[in-house]
Amino acid sequence: MEKPVYIVSKKELDSFVNKLIADQTYEVVGVQAKGERFWFAPLENATDLRLDHDVTILPPKKYFLPQYESLMTFSLEKPFDVTPASNDKPRIIIGIHPYDIIALQQSDLVYLDDQKDDFYKKRRDNTLIIGSDIETVSDRSFAGSMNTHTVNDGFDLMLTHISTETYAVTIGSDKGKALFERYAKGTKATSQELKTIEKIRRELPTKYTQKLRLDKKKWSSVLVANYHHVIWEEKSSKCVECSSCTMVCPTCYCYDVREDVSLNLKDGKRIRTWDGCMLRDFTKVGSGEIFREEIKARYRHRFFRKGNYLPERYGFIACVGCGRCGIACLPDIADPCKLFNDLEKLPSEKETSCFFIKEKTEVGEKGIIHIPRSATIKKVAQCNELDTLFELELDDKKPLGHKPGQFVEVSVMGYGEAPFGISSPPSDKPVFEIMVRKIGNVTSKLVSLQPGDKVGIRGPLGNGFNMELFEGKNMLFVSGGTGMVPMRSLINYVTDPKHRKKYKDLIILYGAKRPKEIVFMNDVEVWKKVDNMQCELTVDRCEPNECWGGCIGLITTLFPKIRADKLDAKNTIAVVIGPPVMYKFVIKCLQTLGIPDQNIWVSLERRMKCGVGKCGHCQINGIYTCKEGPVFNYNQIKRLPEAFE
Amino acid sequence: MSTKPRVAVFDFADCEGCELQIANLEEEILDLLEIVDIVSFREVMKEHSDEYDIAIVEGSIMRPMDEKRLKYIRSKAKILVALGACATIGGVNKIRNQWMPEEVMKDVYGNAKVKGNELFNVNKTKAVNEVVPVDYYIHGCPIDRDEFKHVITALALGKKPEIPTYPVCVECKKNENVCLFERGMYCLGPITRAGCKAICPTNGSPCEGCRGLVKKAETECVWEVLERYNLSYEDIRRRCTMYNYGRAECGAQ
Ligand SMILES: Cc1cc2nc3c(=O)[nH]c(=O)nc-3n(C[C@H](O)[C@H](O)[C@H](O)COP(=O)(O)OP(=O)(O)OC[C@H]3O[C@@H](n4cnc5c(N)ncnc54)[C@H](O)[C@@H]3O)c2cc1C
Ligand code: SF4
Ligand code: SF4
Ligand code: SF4
Ligand code: SF4
Ligand code: SF4
Ligand code: FES
Repeated sequence: MEKPVYIVSKKELDSFVNKLIADQTYEVVGVQAKGERFWFAPLENATDLRLDHDVTILPPKKYFLPQYESLMTFSLEKPFDVTPASNDKPRIIIGIHPYDIIALQQSDLVYLDDQKDDFYKKRRDNTLIIGSDIETVSDRSFAGSMNTHTVNDGFDLMLTHISTETYAVTIGSDKGKALFERYAKGTKATSQELKTIEKIRRELPTKYTQKLRLDKKKWSSVLVANYHHVIWEEKSSKCVECSSCTMVCPTCYCYDVREDVSLNLKDGKRIRTWDGCMLRDFTKVGSGEIFREEIKARYRHRFFRKGNYLPERYGFIACVGCGRCGIACLPDIADPCKLFNDLEKLPSEKETSCFFIKEKTEVGEKGIIHIPRSATIKKVAQCNELDTLFELELDDKKPLGHKPGQFVEVSVMGYGEAPFGISSPPSDKPVFEIMVRKIGNVTSKLVSLQPGDKVGIRGPLGNGFNMELFEGKNMLFVSGGTGMVPMRSLINYVTDPKHRKKYKDLIILYGAKRPKEIVFMNDVEVWKKVDNMQCELTVDRCEPNECWGGCIGLITTLFPKIRADKLDAKNTIAVVIGPPVMYKFVIKCLQTLGIPDQNIWVSLERRMKCGVGKCGHCQINGIYTCKEGPVFNYNQIKRLPEAFE
Repeated sequence: MSTKPRVAVFDFADCEGCELQIANLEEEILDLLEIVDIVSFREVMKEHSDEYDIAIVEGSIMRPMDEKRLKYIRSKAKILVALGACATIGGVNKIRNQWMPEEVMKDVYGNAKVKGNELFNVNKTKAVNEVVPVDYYIHGCPIDRDEFKHVITALALGKKPEIPTYPVCVECKKNENVCLFERGMYCLGPITRAGCKAICPTNGSPCEGCRGLVKKAETECVWEVLERYNLSYEDIRRRCTMYNYGRAECGAQ
């Protein structure tokens, strides 16, 4: 249905805006001059509003995902008096250009999926959008080639400057209609005026100096074909690694979370801040490893995210052609228009999805995603010098309801939050176990806690193993180091007398760095006695003063011990969990044994913050480890270069 | 918190502006006193004790006698924190390193009889970490009070403080500033460590690099930027002298 359009004079528009400001229900924000540029800022008078702006320094996303945002406050004395942050006043934003409206619609898909971001949702519901058709084209924008220069929905009202003294107001929603009827008087647009609006919109693309030569539909396939091209190296060598390109982008939404404690050490806040994949520490984990350390890989990641990963996942190109990154990038290498025009000369392929998993994955936790549930530490046991086992009970007395392979985010207020694999098998009781290795802030604090202390739990998160799929098969479990933590949940499930009959022969291969780093030795002793179970252990090395009668060598040295004559490789499921370096070698051994790739399952770890596919930290090419993983079928991810490199 | 950490604040060659930033916490200083025991802090108290867990050291190290004193402080402290640009990177004081100490002495004291006097015996200026190992850095000239609070609360809670490793531009963009390069100015933001909330560019002045340079500084990428804005490399080098003279020798973490 055609949207109603009204015509107002400039004077009438100003009076409309001033009335909105005078009505204190809303905070009114509008585009204003900032030095030589423009920005969205609280509006005090309609005369400050600049609807002739080319582009604002930051997009209006700052009103939905602020640069710094408190998610909740907490008290260190009563750690579970968590108060979710309250929301801002309802807002009206005036002057949002079509490309920015489209960018907001894109973030809606990400932020309002099954795992809804409550803060974003409330702000979205609370905000009225008064768009403005583009009057002045930014010299770096290429929205004209992206078809984002106009928009048909996603606004409450849309303003179009049709002649010196008149504006057209298109009504986009009931809320917009109510607002307009309450505060403005306009005449219905004549067919002549409607034609003028249409002409303005139709002719807009000709005003762009920046033009894309590579059709956006082809971005994905050209990227895939050129993943290893020298162009990434060449361009990124000029990068100053400032991440300005992601900071100013309306379609970037990665974030970091940290805890700020007041100087009195009594209370604190959990803060969410903007983060960007161009920054070196974006993928850094506690052990010091950085998964995307080279600037070349980070630079490439940003473009793949825009042109391949998100398009394959959500169906939109995550660039709206606003040109902000081109302006902000000091060495001028961030502009997608320039990059894709350079890529245009390179070959493309048909296949587009190879950095992405097609299958729909299950979502661990649904609903509110940021606020942890409280849990009490029931038991603490030192497992070895480095690792501590915790039994936790959820204070709402509900069972966690997890599958083997899933993880939880554990928070210690004031210290932060970190992901941990669940090491106990599924249970109908509210208790479960995690094993913690002391690495940094969260883990060091955790291991100092005592029974009775409280922690926060989010989860279970991620995908676990589908145990039914493995029924009737032999199982080969290969774990290295703390990989045994989630593996134990799986092994204890399979060896539970209730389930044992569903699975055939079992083999456990387990390697630790040193004898003293072996975890769950008691369980190992029990497993050794299970029917039709072979259990082999090894350590990388052993100091003279350590007592170890077993095998010494890397985990791969255990493979020859498998009674290969007995192993029906085609009917065997192999599960591999361990440190990143281990996978390549172990998978080779499994393939030598004749185990088909689709029978190999792995669990991968990455830097994680949100655990629900929003913050961007855990991304391996087009997949989110927290959402599609941490458990993966090898067949699905073997073509992801970032997974095993 | 079972026992409060004992904290001592020391100063070497500097303007004491950073200590003043601590004193300027005003009411919050009472909170600070709740969480730590300040056993020595010349700027605000008379008492002094040699028993401390955390030593906060301000100022750069100029003389053999300073080195001796600093080593003694290090031997007493479990944790040593360098406070402010003078301590973290040698700061403004390092400008002097362009000349030989003898030349400088001559310029300043002329023919005055200072020879042999330990107080006037100067070396090249050093940052604290060029003399003793430093555990944590509170960057800036002067330091940012919020960052000071972050570091001190982290230490009191037994945490490792998190200090940004990325450049000032990140915070500058979050503040939605018009980039100074676009206005024809030089700015050291792209090569300077963030954490100051980009206070200088936000107020219209270029970043001078007081928090030290980030890893990728002074590489070819900066050339590209200068070229794009028709600015000269010599000029930007000169600007780096203000806080980062001879940076290659020190390089705080
Ligand atoms: C799916 C998954 C399961 C895990 N299971 C276990 C387990 O069962 N037992 C165990 O001891 N450890 C496990 N880890 C690793 C554990 O999460 C890290 O050791 C922990 O995050 C370190 O936090 P920290 O604050 O002590 O360290 P810091 O160095 O202070 O970490 C700072 C921040 O970096 C992030 N981070 C650091 N290391 C990692 C990491 N390895 N993975 C993800 N984010 C990280 C966290 O967000 C953390 O807040 C798991 C990690 C993942 C991703
Ligand atoms: S804005 Fe440019 S220089 Fe900065 S991180 Fe992005 S590509 Fe690199
Ligand atoms: S990538 Fe650049 S042009 Fe595209 S939406 Fe982001 S800032 Fe705008
Ligand atoms: S860093 Fe700056 S403010 Fe701090 S003591 Fe040195 S000169 Fe003074
Ligand atoms: S003004 Fe300076 S700090 Fe800010 S973006 Fe520009 S170069 Fe970076
Ligand atoms: S902007 Fe630069 S000079 Fe100013 S405080 Fe920050 S780091 Fe120091
Ligand atoms: S996207 Fe945030 S942890 Fe996976």
